[in-house]
Amino acid sequence: MNGIVSALRTARFARAVLVYLAVYSGIAAWLPWTRVDRATAPSWAALLGLVHPFSSPAFVAGVALLFASTLACTWGRRARALQLLRGELPESAVALSSAQGKDAAAFLRAQSFSAARGPVMRRFPWALWGGWILHVGLLVLIAAVAIQQTFHDEGSFELGVGEATVLSRPGAVFGRARGILAPQDPPDLEVALVSYDPFLHQRGYAPDRASRVRLRAGGDDGAEVQLDRADGARAGPVTVYQAIPDGLALVVDVPGLGARAIHLHGSGRRAEAEVVDPAGRPARFAVEAEHALDDPAGTGPLALALDSGGQRLALAPGAPFRFGDGEARVVALTRWAGFTYARSPGMPGIFAGFAVILLGALLLAFPAGVARLGEPGDEVAARVFGRGADVLARRWERQGANSPASR
Amino acid sequence: METVAFWTAVTAYAVSAAAFFGAFAFGKRRFGAVARWLAAAGLVPHAVAVGLRWAEVGHGPYNTRYEVLSADVLLLVAVYVGASAVAKGVLPLGAFVMPLAFLGMGWAVSTFGLRAEVPIIFKSYWLWLHIGFAKAFAACTLLAAGAAAGYLFRSRAPERLRWLPPAEDLDLYGHQFLLVAFLLLGVMIAAGSLWAHQSWGRYWGWDPIETSALVTWIAFAIILHFRVLHRWSGRRMAYLTFVGAAFMLVTVFVVAIAVPTIHNSYMVGR
Repeated sequence: MNGIVSALRTARFARAVLVYLAVYSGIAAWLPWTRVDRATAPSWAALLGLVHPFSSPAFVAGVALLFASTLACTWGRRARALQLLRGELPESAVALSSAQGKDAAAFLRAQSFSAARGPVMRRFPWALWGGWILHVGLLVLIAAVAIQQTFHDEGSFELGVGEATVLSRPGAVFGRARGILAPQDPPDLEVALVSYDPFLHQRGYAPDRASRVRLRAGGDDGAEVQLDRADGARAGPVTVYQAIPDGLALVVDVPGLGARAIHLHGSGRRAEAEVVDPAGRPARFAVEAEHALDDPAGTGPLALALDSGGQRLALAPGAPFRFGDGEARVVALTRWAGFTYARSPGMPGIFAGFAVILLGALLLAFPAGVARLGEPGDEVAARVFGRGADVLARRWERQGANSPASR
Repeated sequence: METVAFWTAVTAYAVSAAAFFGAFAFGKRRFGAVARWLAAAGLVPHAVAVGLRWAEVGHGPYNTRYEVLSADVLLLVAVYVGASAVAKGVLPLGAFVMPLAFLGMGWAVSTFGLRAEVPIIFKSYWLWLHIGFAKAFAACTLLAAGAAAGYLFRSRAPERLRWLPPAEDLDLYGHQFLLVAFLLLGVMIAAGSLWAHQSWGRYWGWDPIETSALVTWIAFAIILHFRVLHRWSGRRMAYLTFVGAAFMLVTVFVVAIAVPTIHNSYMVGR
């Protein structure tokens, strides 16, 4: 066991793991199928489990080794810091040779060292904890990411203006991604789209989507919030985000079913939706515009139609039309918008880990050091350990006898 | 007003760069002090120019090449002036920083007249921190590279360029700048994660620039391990510092230019 810990603790092992992760990440980020315009992953990538390279066994193993290496390095580091603070310097401490007329204590004081007790002098002693704190932060970060990945839950949904849905309702959410211990069902959150503007102009920013949504979790009254792609809206542990997809929605009043919003998908000037009519036959609603459907200046006149049973029927708002075995009515042509929701219980841990890492890195930026003065007559005037100790030794060598200590 | 402030800053930086060359050519420390003072004085109109543009366009300096590079230079000069106030030995690095600042302003002015709106996802306080720390990280890494170059000059010819601090001091400055750059890069990554989480509900997307920043952070960690654990210093550390600077340049400029991502406009402008 001790042998394993010793091996994990070596700087060579830590470097090897870091290099492995850096090279792996550098290559994986450039794999064609991980890019925005995703190509299909080749079969060999699937065979090696590299379709999703940053959740592949090779990457997870690298992170696990990094955790083990960091844990082994952290183990015992606290005791070493305490030893240093007591003035027990390691073999690698730099020696300042005694010389006639040179005062090591005065020299060290001029280098910002101050006497602690007896022959021990220290500079920024609290900063000696920097390395230990940084390693603890790295452990917290890796553990928190593991928790976050395990419990993370996200999914997409669409809403037409005036439409409401409960995310836990079957079929309400699609494209769901969840960790192995995330709740089985989507959250019990009711979301209603009150209004939607695909081209809201906010000063300084290009026109973009903005919605007013009502969020109601459990039995509370809910709250109406403004949502755009700059920021999500929270309802308990769930955050709802405005997504990019949107389109036209046809609200149709179907006898026995009530008003239904049919989301049309398409690009350019045409959008359509395949449905099954109340009689169980396939049908297609289609909208054709004069201009592009995403033209901020407007679509121009729209032509609505229903393709069913090999026949095309022109539709008009308010006018009844044959749908299945009964009559339905187009209530309105409006817009639908896409949203996502996310639950990330590990996030506070991740940010805590980052904060601890940064605190450690901040402390490391201070040139902390500990010096132990030699006895009168010793060959060594003082031994110094810490960042910049070698520089300090060269300054000591350069310094003439009784000359003012230079910084 | 913005034009006047911008060109006043450019003039101050140009004269400062010339004064640093004079300090090197004639070995006059006084030239260096004047040059640093000019650099500090140039920061005031420069900040005014950046602030006026910010107020006019309604978003931070992260869209056009002018906005991006001008803010890069502002941070570079501010970090240099601040560092040289804390450690006097850093002052000669102005001979490396100020010509870069002048050239950066020259590149920036090529799109001075361009004004454009940014995507709505840029409306975030975390983005300010993300971008600000990215610029400060780049500035500290450039200063570390400057100190490493100074070290190599000074250690090869100790009798020449006596205006530079002793080689071992430059070695230590390089290390300190790298440490601070490591810290700033960490803050930049954390702020970027918070921004991504605020806008998209995910803190990490393995976008090429995100990954490149992470790889750079790991590379800096490896370099710092060599220094702290193996006591590497001097020539080897100077070359490793150049490697760190190369990683920074690849992340901040090369990947941003080569790969179309959300990061393009605010890293290299358009």
